[in-house]
Amino acid sequence: MLFINTHFLKRRPRREYLNDKYTPRKSNFFIWFKRIIIILLLITLGLLLMLLGNLAYGDTRTSEFQNIEFNKLSQGSMLIKTNTSGIYQQVPLLHTDVDMHISGMIVRSNIKQQFKNISDNWIEAEYVFPLPENAAVDHMQIRIGGRIIEGRIKEKLDAKRAYEKAKRDGRKAALVEQQRPNLFTNTVANIAPGESIIVEIEYQQVLHYEQGNFSLRFPMAITPRYIPDNIQQQSTLHTSNHTSENSTEETISFSLTGWGHNTNQIQDATQITPPLQSAPNKINPVSINIKLNAGFPLEKLFSRYHNIIKQQTNDIITISLANGVTPSDRDFELVWTPQINHTPKAAVFSEKINTDYFQMLMLAPPIDGAHNGQPLARDINYIIDTSGSMHGISMHQAKQSLLMALDRLRLHDKFNIIQFNSITDQLFSHSQIASFENILIAKQYINRLKAEGGTEMAPALKLALNNPTDTYYVHQVIFLTDGSVGNESALFDIIHKNLGNSRLFTIGIGSAPNSYFMRKAAQFGRGSFTYISDVNEVNNKMTSLFSKLESPLMTDIKLHFDQNIVTEIWPERLPDLYNGEPVILAIKSDKPLQEVTLTGTRALSPWRAKLNLKTENTSKGIGIFWARKKIAALMDSIQGGANKEQVRANIIDVALTHHLVSKYTSLVAVDKIPSRPVDSRLDKTRMPVNLPHGQSTYKTFGRLPQTATSAKLNLLFGFSLMMLGLALAVLLRQPVPTQNTSNQS
Amino acid sequence: MNLKNKKPYIVIFLFIPGCWFIGQGLYTESKAIVAQLLLEHAWNIAKAGGTRNKPWPWADTWPIARLTVPRLNIDLIVLAGDSGRTLAFGPGHNFASSTPGKKGNSLISAHRDTHFKFLQYLQPGDNIFIETAQSENTLYKVTSSKVVDMDNARFIDDQSSAYVHLVTCYPFDSIIPGGSQRLIVSARAQSVI
Repeated sequence: MLFINTHFLKRRPRREYLNDKYTPRKSNFFIWFKRIIIILLLITLGLLLMLLGNLAYGDTRTSEFQNIEFNKLSQGSMLIKTNTSGIYQQVPLLHTDVDMHISGMIVRSNIKQQFKNISDNWIEAEYVFPLPENAAVDHMQIRIGGRIIEGRIKEKLDAKRAYEKAKRDGRKAALVEQQRPNLFTNTVANIAPGESIIVEIEYQQVLHYEQGNFSLRFPMAITPRYIPDNIQQQSTLHTSNHTSENSTEETISFSLTGWGHNTNQIQDATQITPPLQSAPNKINPVSINIKLNAGFPLEKLFSRYHNIIKQQTNDIITISLANGVTPSDRDFELVWTPQINHTPKAAVFSEKINTDYFQMLMLAPPIDGAHNGQPLARDINYIIDTSGSMHGISMHQAKQSLLMALDRLRLHDKFNIIQFNSITDQLFSHSQIASFENILIAKQYINRLKAEGGTEMAPALKLALNNPTDTYYVHQVIFLTDGSVGNESALFDIIHKNLGNSRLFTIGIGSAPNSYFMRKAAQFGRGSFTYISDVNEVNNKMTSLFSKLESPLMTDIKLHFDQNIVTEIWPERLPDLYNGEPVILAIKSDKPLQEVTLTGTRALSPWRAKLNLKTENTSKGIGIFWARKKIAALMDSIQGGANKEQVRANIIDVALTHHLVSKYTSLVAVDKIPSRPVDSRLDKTRMPVNLPHGQSTYKTFGRLPQTATSAKLNLLFGFSLMMLGLALAVLLRQPVPTQNTSNQS
Repeated sequence: MNLKNKKPYIVIFLFIPGCWFIGQGLYTESKAIVAQLLLEHAWNIAKAGGTRNKPWPWADTWPIARLTVPRLNIDLIVLAGDSGRTLAFGPGHNFASSTPGKKGNSLISAHRDTHFKFLQYLQPGDNIFIETAQSENTLYKVTSSKVVDMDNARFIDDQSSAYVHLVTCYPFDSIIPGGSQRLIVSARAQSVI
C-alpha cells in the first residue's frame, strides 16, 4: 500500500512532496479505490442483470407464444362445424372390410368402405386412404341398401364434372381419385341423415418375391400432414371459410399440436390433408380376410405386425385378424415361404383379352452362393469428398468408412483412391493390386486428408468412371460424400454418359447429407445408396454394403423370342439383379408367345434360361398387370425428359382401355335418381384418419444447426473491457489536478 | 515499480482486447450484411442463367432462393447448406430437406441475431414468399411457431404439400450463443401442384 501511494507522487516536484501531508493522500487513495471497486461491481451487476433479463424475457416470450396460439384454437375431437354458427355435428362412422384373394403372383383385393351418417343433415364425405404403390384400381361401385351403382373410368376432369353435377342435383355419387400412386381419395355425395352407404373399391397388385420369400403389404396408415413434434396432445379443430367457384362451403381441418393455425384455402383437391385422430381413441376399424392359394406347400406363413388366425381347407389357407378388427394405424404385412424344394424358379401366367395376349413372366436366376465358383475380382475406385462442408465429424466418419473398406479388400482386387475439393487428386496413377504395401500407403494417404475448399465433384466422378480397367475386373466406384452440391442434374448427366460397365455406389456421410442427390446418383449409376449418419453405424452399414458388392451381379439381362410376333414389353430395359431378385416382365403380344429365352451375364459367365410359355391355365388380371406396368414406366419416363403431354395422352389411352385409375383418370359412380331434396343443405365432411402407429413416419433432419453468433457477446465483452480501461485511465488521472489545486491554494 | 508507471500499459492491455472483441462483433454483423449484398449479385446471375453461381471465388455455397416477407420488409438470399460457415453469410437451406417450393419439408436456418431476427415478429397468417432459381415466387402462409429442443425437432413427412420451416436459436435476446432451444416457424405453400 505504501509503494502504491508513493508512486502517485512521483511526477510531482520534490518540494511539493516535502510539504505534503500524508493523511489526505491516504483518504484520497481510498476514495479512488472504492470508486474503482464500485464501478467494477456496477459493470458486473449490469452484465448479470442483462443476462438475467434475457432469460426472464425469453421465458415470458415462450408462454406468450403459447397463449396466442391456444386462444385461437378450440378443443374438440370428432365434431364438425356446420353452416349455422355454434352448431356442431358428428362426422360419419367408417368401417372398412378388406377381402383378398391371392393366386399365383396376383392379389385381388376388395375394399368395402361403409360410411354411416349419424348426423341430422345430408353430408358429403371425403376420405383419404392409402393403397400399395403398385396397386391397379380398376373397379368401384356404390351399394345403397340393395341397389348397386357401378363406377366408370373417365378422364380426371370429366369424372370430377360428372360427380359435381350429380352432387348439385341431389343424386348419390362417389368419386375415386389417385392423388399419388399410393394415396387415393374417395368422395361420397348426398348421404342422408342416418343412412349407410358402402363404396366398394377393387384393386390388383403383384406379390413381392425376393430371396425365396413372398410378401404382401396392405397399407393402413396414412402419412399425415406436417405437425411439428409433440403428438400426444389432443386434437383440436377449427374451421375456415372456403370459397369455391359457385358456393361458399365450410371446410374443416384438424391440428394436433395446438399450434396449427389453419388459414389455408383448400383450392386443390390434390392437397390432401385429412384430419387426424390421435391415440387413445383409434377410429376407422378394418377387418381383413385373406384367401391364399400359394400353389405350393408352405414352410412358414406369418404376419409381421398383427396377430392372425389361419385355417387350411385343401389348397386354400384362410387368414383373418385374431382381434377381428384393427384400427387403421399401421400397415398389415403377410409373409410366406415355400418349402425348400418347392421354391419357384419361374412362373408364367397368361390372359387373352379380345385379340391381345397378355403374359406375366417371373424368373428367379439361381442364387449364387458366396462359396461356389470363383470370387468376384473387383477394381474399386473410392472417391472421398474432402470439401469444406465435410469438415469435422463428417470427415472422421468418411475416413473410418474408407479405412474399413480397405480392410475388406482381397489380394485379387485392385483399388485406387480419389479425393476432391476444389481440385481432384488421386493416390495412384492407375489402380493397384490390394497388396499389403499398397494398402499401407493408402491408409497413410487417408490419414493425411483434410477437409477444406470447394466441392468440384464433376472431375472426380469423370476420373473414377473413366479410369481404365481390365474386363476381367468388375469396376465399382464407391463415393463417400455429403453431397453438398447444387448442380445435381449436370452430375447425373456425367454419370449417365460415363457409366459404361461401372457401377456407382454412394455413401451418404454426416447428419444431413443431400440424400436426393445420392439416391438418384446411385440409380443412374446402377448401384445403391447407403446412409451412414453416425460413426457407430460405420461397421454395420459398410459390412452389409460389402457383402452386396462382393457377390456378383446378374447383368445384361435380355429377352429373346420369335421376332415375327409383335410385342410390347414392360419394363423396356431390364434392371441388373442382385442375388435372389427375380426378373418380372409384362408382355403383350398379337400371337401367344410359345417360347422365350432369357440371357444374362454373371461373373463373366453367361447365364441362359429357356422357358416354355405354353400354358393351359389362363389367369385373370394379367392384362391389368401389364397396363399398370406400362403406366408406371410412362410416369418414370417423365423424369427422363419425355414429353409430358404425350405421356399424359398415352396414359389416358391405356388407363381407359383397361379401366384403371391413374394420375389422369378417375372412377366415378353416379346415381340416376335424386335422393336429396334440392332445398336441403349438404355439409362437407373430411373423414379423420389415425396417426400412424409409432413415429417412423416423422421426418427428422438430425441436429438443427447452431444459429446464434457470438457477435453480441463479443461486442459486450469488448465494450466492458474498454469501459474498464477508460475508467482506470480517468480515475488514475483524477487525483493529480486536485492535489495541485489544493497545494497551490 | 508502481501503478502510475504501468498505467498506460494497463489501459492498453484492456483497450486492445476490447477493440478486438468489438471488432469481432462488428465483423460478424457486417459480414452478414455485406455478404447479402454480394449474394444479391450472384443471385441475379443464377436467376438469369438458372445455374449454380458462387458469390465469391472461394465460396463453398451458392444462392438457391430468395425469401421475402413484405410485411416486415425482409428480403434475404438463401444459401445452399446450413453449416456454420454458410450461416455467417445468410440463411442456409438444409440439403436433406426438400427444395423450397417443392413438396415436403424444407428447412431454412439462420442466425437469430442477424438474418432471422425477424422470426420473433412473424404471426400466423403472415405471407412468406420464396423464389428459387427454377421456380416462380411461391406464397407460404405461416401456420405455427414453436420452440423445440435442437435434437428433438420432428416433422411429419407429408409429401402432398410444400412446407417451409424457418429455424433459429431461441431465446432471441440471449447473449450467450450455443443454447439448445430452437424456434421453428412453419409455413405452408398455398399454390403447389
